[in-house]
Amino acid sequence: MKIGIHGLTSCYGCQLSMAVVKRILDVSEKFDIKYFYMLSSAGKIEHVDVAFVEGSVSTDEDEKELRMIRENADVLVAIGSCAIHGGVQSILFSEGIGYEEAFKTVYGDKKMDYNGRIAQPLDKFVKVDYRLPGCPPEEEEIMYYLATFAIGSWPEEKDYPVCAECRRAGNPCILIEKGEPCLGPVTVAGCDARCIKYGIPCIGCRGPVSDVSWFDSLAMSFRDRGMDKEYVKKRMAIFASRYEGLNEMIDKIYGD
Amino acid sequence: MRYLKLGSRNIDEFLGRISNYGDLYAPQKISEKFYDYRKVEDISQVEFNYNRTITPAKKYFIPPKHEMFEFDMETGEYTETMGDVKPFVLFGLHACSIVALRILDGVYLNEYPDKYYAARRKAGIIIGISCLPDEYCFCNLRRTDFVDIGFDLFLHELPDGYLIRVGSERGHEIVDENMDIFEEVSNDDIENFKKFEKKRHEMFKYEGSFDNLRYILELTENSPLWDEESEKCLGCGNCTMTCPTCRCYDVQDLPDIDGKHGKRIRFWDSCQFRSHGLVAGGHNFRETKKDRFINRYVCKNAYFYPLGTSYCVGCGNCTYFCPAGIDFLKNLIKIRDVVGEVAHGEQ
Repeated sequence: MKIGIHGLTSCYGCQLSMAVVKRILDVSEKFDIKYFYMLSSAGKIEHVDVAFVEGSVSTDEDEKELRMIRENADVLVAIGSCAIHGGVQSILFSEGIGYEEAFKTVYGDKKMDYNGRIAQPLDKFVKVDYRLPGCPPEEEEIMYYLATFAIGSWPEEKDYPVCAECRRAGNPCILIEKGEPCLGPVTVAGCDARCIKYGIPCIGCRGPVSDVSWFDSLAMSFRDRGMDKEYVKKRMAIFASRYEGLNEMIDKIYGD
Repeated sequence: MRYLKLGSRNIDEFLGRISNYGDLYAPQKISEKFYDYRKVEDISQVEFNYNRTITPAKKYFIPPKHEMFEFDMETGEYTETMGDVKPFVLFGLHACSIVALRILDGVYLNEYPDKYYAARRKAGIIIGISCLPDEYCFCNLRRTDFVDIGFDLFLHELPDGYLIRVGSERGHEIVDENMDIFEEVSNDDIENFKKFEKKRHEMFKYEGSFDNLRYILELTENSPLWDEESEKCLGCGNCTMTCPTCRCYDVQDLPDIDGKHGKRIRFWDSCQFRSHGLVAGGHNFRETKKDRFINRYVCKNAYFYPLGTSYCVGCGNCTYFCPAGIDFLKNLIKIRDVVGEVAHGEQ
């Protein structure tokens, strides 16, 4: 089975996670890896059974490359928060800041040899067949996704939040107990509530649970615990700025 | 029934003795406000006075996540991996938790026999303890605030120790083998036991019966209450995960990267998750959050016929552990009043 592992604009952390799985030798034996830029610059985009794509579309070149990957892949898997939701770099979207303004703030009058834009997730451009969430994804899930493809099957995506794993793990709930701004109720599970186990509220790095993240309910819960709108909005937007209706859900609770 | 007394001075000794029968698990303080069952490494950590644990005792019989077996995709054979379950002692269950286990028994032992559950249930020694309700408790409305079966030993608080009821053959064996730490029950003990029971009854916030709730719920599915309350819901599943009788699980096959082997795992699921009602063809029995929200209310208030109680034991966990502050009990009371005109004649 042929696979390709690609990276658009991102930190390359997802690819790194895939490169350092403990059983990388078994993976390389099972799959004919046609493209994996992080490991070798020799690869070129050609037909594969499954293409894994990390990163968000943040330049014209990203879009071109993504379309080419899609055309050459039977199955396309978006890996990580950037590819699935646009990632941290799309935070400007929910703040209503345009690309020109953002560029100027960071780089001043400098010129770049690419055309940038506010980051967008893959599904704004191409059909995404499966999502492998994480920032970066967990090794267990990487192996599960690869193994299902290896036997000609497909992965079952989690559609429930971190809370479920947090309760299964027997952690105390720090949102209820301490009023911590935990995004566990709206963040897709898979991390076994790692941060909360150490008393750190979930920041939502794995991204929202697709279609069933109730940011309005959570905003209400935060509001009732004394958190103000600006704070809540900023925190929720870090990894979910592209989630449909995010701002409206927050406005509904706090008022415009 | 056989009654004994355990004097205050022998409590530590008692905990030491029962840990001879297997690994001891008991409620312990795990954070500022919360308690949970944990393996006892130090008996001074055992909590005798607690209201509720964040994980119900079901976790010892239906683990949150466990492997069922390994399989070979080439030969089609599978190998059980659970092995023998070592005996263990579960100390400090409240009456509602014991009834909850009996409800699970009805489903996992009688209705659809489950060998994983049966093996763990057989290995577990259950020691109950009396409790006083807080404002979240309504086990009295569910008639689960006192148990007469389902435990090996049950400890009732006295000013100077515990009155013990022996509830099983194994319970008799345990006391027989440790008679040196028990005493006869005196008249004073009986009076104190009655006083405690009276105090316990007086502390409940609500009186009455919820026996008609199932039907009222079915009759009021169009009430605006469900829109208002489900709107607040996070769909996070905290209510079902912390519920002592919620027993839905999901099963997943995890193939190995070699493409030849794999294992089947099972883990706690929740009717509050979208995929819970998802079936072939993409159809969903409970498409909306509101559908899923109502489902839990109806399910919990349905009758568990072998015991004549509802599936809800009135522990208050789902309210106490709801991050959205949704009050299950208040909603049930409200829904009875919404149809006051209809319900009045029935009461």
